[in-house]
Amino acid sequence: MDVWEQFIILLEGVPVTLSISIISFLIGIVIGLPLAFIRVYEKDASFIVDAYEKIFRGIPEIVLLLLFFFGLGPIFPFPFGIPFFVACFVLGLRSGANQSQIYRGAIRGVGDEQMIAGMSVGFSKWRAIWHIMIPQVFNFSTAGLGSEYALLIKDSAYVYVIAVADLMYSAVHLASAPPYDRVTPYVLTAALYIALTFPIAFYLDKWGSRRKKKIGL
Amino acid sequence: MGKQKKEEDRVVRKMAEYVMEAKHVYKSYGKPKVKKGEISLDTKLVVEAVRDVSLQIRKGDIKLVFGPSGSGKSTLLRCLAMLDIPDKGQIYLGDEELTKSGVDLNKARARIGFVFQHIYLFRHLTALGNVELALRKVLKLPKEEARKRALDALTEVKVSDCVSKYPSQMSGGQAQRVGIARALARNPDIILLDEPTSALDPELTGEVIDTLRDLAKEGTTMLIVSHEMPFAREVAEEMIFYDEGRILETGPPSQFFNAPNTDRAKKFMDRIIKRTTRE
Amino acid sequence: MFEWLLNPMFQQMILEGVLLTIEITLFGVLLGLGVGTLLAIGDIYGNKPVKAAIAVYVEFFRGGPLFVQIFLAVYTLPTLLNLQIDHAILAFLVFGLNSAGYQKGYIKSSMEAILGDQMQAGLSVGLSKAQTVRSVILPQAYRIVIPSWTNEFCSLTKSTAVLSYVGLMDLVGAGRSILFRNMEILPVWIVVAIIYLAWITGFSKMMDIIYEKKKIPGIELSA
Repeated sequence: MDVWEQFIILLEGVPVTLSISIISFLIGIVIGLPLAFIRVYEKDASFIVDAYEKIFRGIPEIVLLLLFFFGLGPIFPFPFGIPFFVACFVLGLRSGANQSQIYRGAIRGVGDEQMIAGMSVGFSKWRAIWHIMIPQVFNFSTAGLGSEYALLIKDSAYVYVIAVADLMYSAVHLASAPPYDRVTPYVLTAALYIALTFPIAFYLDKWGSRRKKKIGL
Repeated sequence: MGKQKKEEDRVVRKMAEYVMEAKHVYKSYGKPKVKKGEISLDTKLVVEAVRDVSLQIRKGDIKLVFGPSGSGKSTLLRCLAMLDIPDKGQIYLGDEELTKSGVDLNKARARIGFVFQHIYLFRHLTALGNVELALRKVLKLPKEEARKRALDALTEVKVSDCVSKYPSQMSGGQAQRVGIARALARNPDIILLDEPTSALDPELTGEVIDTLRDLAKEGTTMLIVSHEMPFAREVAEEMIFYDEGRILETGPPSQFFNAPNTDRAKKFMDRIIKRTTRE
Repeated sequence: MFEWLLNPMFQQMILEGVLLTIEITLFGVLLGLGVGTLLAIGDIYGNKPVKAAIAVYVEFFRGGPLFVQIFLAVYTLPTLLNLQIDHAILAFLVFGLNSAGYQKGYIKSSMEAILGDQMQAGLSVGLSKAQTVRSVILPQAYRIVIPSWTNEFCSLTKSTAVLSYVGLMDLVGAGRSILFRNMEILPVWIVVAIIYLAWITGFSKMMDIIYEKKKIPGIELSA
C-alpha cells in the first residue's frame, strides 16, 4: 500500500475527529457559559462550579472514557454503550469545565459596570446577562476559545481507547495490519493533526491583534 | 606637524583629567537610513534626542541638566552610561573610549552609578540584596565584605530600617534611596541620576534631595537630570540648559536664576519660577 | 463492590502503576522546564534562524496530540533507527519535549513581563545581559510562572493515561490488568478516577500554598 492510499484511509477518520470536536465544543458552551455566570454572580452556588471544575481537571479523559463506556455501558447500553456518544459526552463535559474558566476571565474583562448599566435601564440580573454580558463575553473570549477548540481536536485522539473510528484509530489500524508499516501512518497522522490545528492558531493571532486595534487597545 | 602633535598631547592630557566626556554625540529614535557611511534620518518619523552634544565632567563636579520635558535629557544620560548606544560621537570614561568597538561595556558600567526615574529596584530581592548583587557578581567580592559594604551604603542613605524589606513594601522615597545606595556601593567614578524625584510624591522628594545634598557635600561626582530648582540653586555647581537635543546654555545657578543669556532659557526659568512661587 | 481492593496483588499493581505515573510525570515536567527555559531565552534573544527553528518545534509539539507523538516515539523511531530503546525512556523524552513546547510560552511571557526595566537595572550596575537574565530575570519569572506550571503538571499527569497503550504499566494500565482478573468493571475505574483526583487536587493545593509563600510581594501575573 503506498503513501497515497494510506493517506486516503487516514482521511476517512478526519470527519469523525472533526464532528467529535465540534459537538464537544458546543456542549462545552452550553455548560461553560452558565457555570461561569453562576460562579461570578451567584456566590452561594459557586461551590458547585468549583467542584465540577476540580473533577474535570483532576481525572484523565481516558479514565472517564473507559469508566463510562466499559463501566456504565453494560449497565446502560443506551446511551453509554455507543462509543460516539460517550466520546462527545466526556469531551463535552471536560470542555465545559475549561470554557467555564475562559468565560470567567472574559466576564471580568468586560467589567461589572456593564451589568450595572444594564440593570439601571430596567433589566433583571439574568436578562442583563443575556442581552448585555453574553455578547461582549464572546468578544473577549476568542483567544481562549480558539485554543480550547484546538485542544479538543487533539484530545479527540483519546477516543481511540473506546474504539471510535477517528483519525487516531485509522492510523493505529493501518500500522497494525500488513505490511506493518510503523512509520508512514503515524507520520502522516501527526501531519494531519497539525494541519487541523494550525489554521486556528494562525487566525487567532491575526484576529486577536486586529480586534485589539479596533477597540483601540 | 610638530605643532599638531603638541596640540594632540595637550588634548590627551586634558582628556585624562575628565571623569567623563561626551564628544559630538548624536542619538535619535526612529528609522535611520544608512547612506554611504553617514547616517541620515527620515525626519518624519524620528525623534532626535541628542544632537551634537559635547560635555565634560571633572572629578567632584556637580552638574545639573534641566529643560523642557521630552527634550532628550534622559537619553543623553543613558548614552553616557552606554545603556543606549549613541549613533555618532564618542563617550569617554576617564581614558577609555566606551564607544569603540570591542570595549567591555559591563566593566565600564560597573564604574558608573545610575539612578533611574522609576527606580527599577530588583523586585525579587530585599534592599540589602539589591545592593549586594552587583558587589558579589560584578566586583566578585566575598560574601562578608559585600554584605558589609552594602549595609554601609544603606546606612549612608539612611534606609537601614529597610534592609530586609522588599521593594513593594517600601515607600517611593525609601526605594529611591535604596536605588542610590545600589549605585553608590561600587564606589563608582561618577553617579548619573535621571530625574530621581520626578516619579515620587511631593512629600517624599525631600528625603531623596537630602541624600543628594549629603553626597554633594562629600564631593561625589554627579550629573543630575532634574527640575528641582531649589535643589539646583543650592547644590549644583553648573547648570546645563538642554532643549530639543542640544545644550543651549551652561553656567552657574546664579546665572540662570538672575539673568539667563538665551531667550529660551529665560522663558523656561520664568515659567518655572512662576510655578514655584505660586505654590 | 470494592472487595477486590483488599486483594494484595491488586494493591501492588495499583501502587506500581501510581509510582510509574508519578515518575514519568515528574521527570517529564522537569525536562520540559529546562528545555522550555532554553526555548524561551532563544525566542527572546536569538537571531532569525533560531527563532524559526523554535517556532517549528513549538508548532510540531503543540499542534498534534501527545497520543500520536508517543506512538511516533515508541513505534516509528525505533523502526527508523533500527534500535531498541526502553519505552519508558522514550515516553519520558516525549513528555518532556512536548511539555517544553507549552512551557516555553508561559516562561517567555513571564520573562517579557519583567524584562524591560529589570534588564535596564541589571545592566546599570554592571551585570552582563547573561548575568542579568540569570540573577534577576529568571528568579522572578520562575515565581510568576508557578500557577501556569502547576496547570502544566496536572495536564501532564492526565496525559500519562496513554502509557498503557504503548506497553507501560501506569495507573490506567494497572486498572486494565486488574480487569483481566476481576469481573466488575465500574468499581475499578471509579477507584482509579478517585486516585487521580486525589493526587492532582492534592498537588495543586500544595502548589497553591507554595506559591503564596514564595511569591514576590507585589508581583503577580494577572490570571
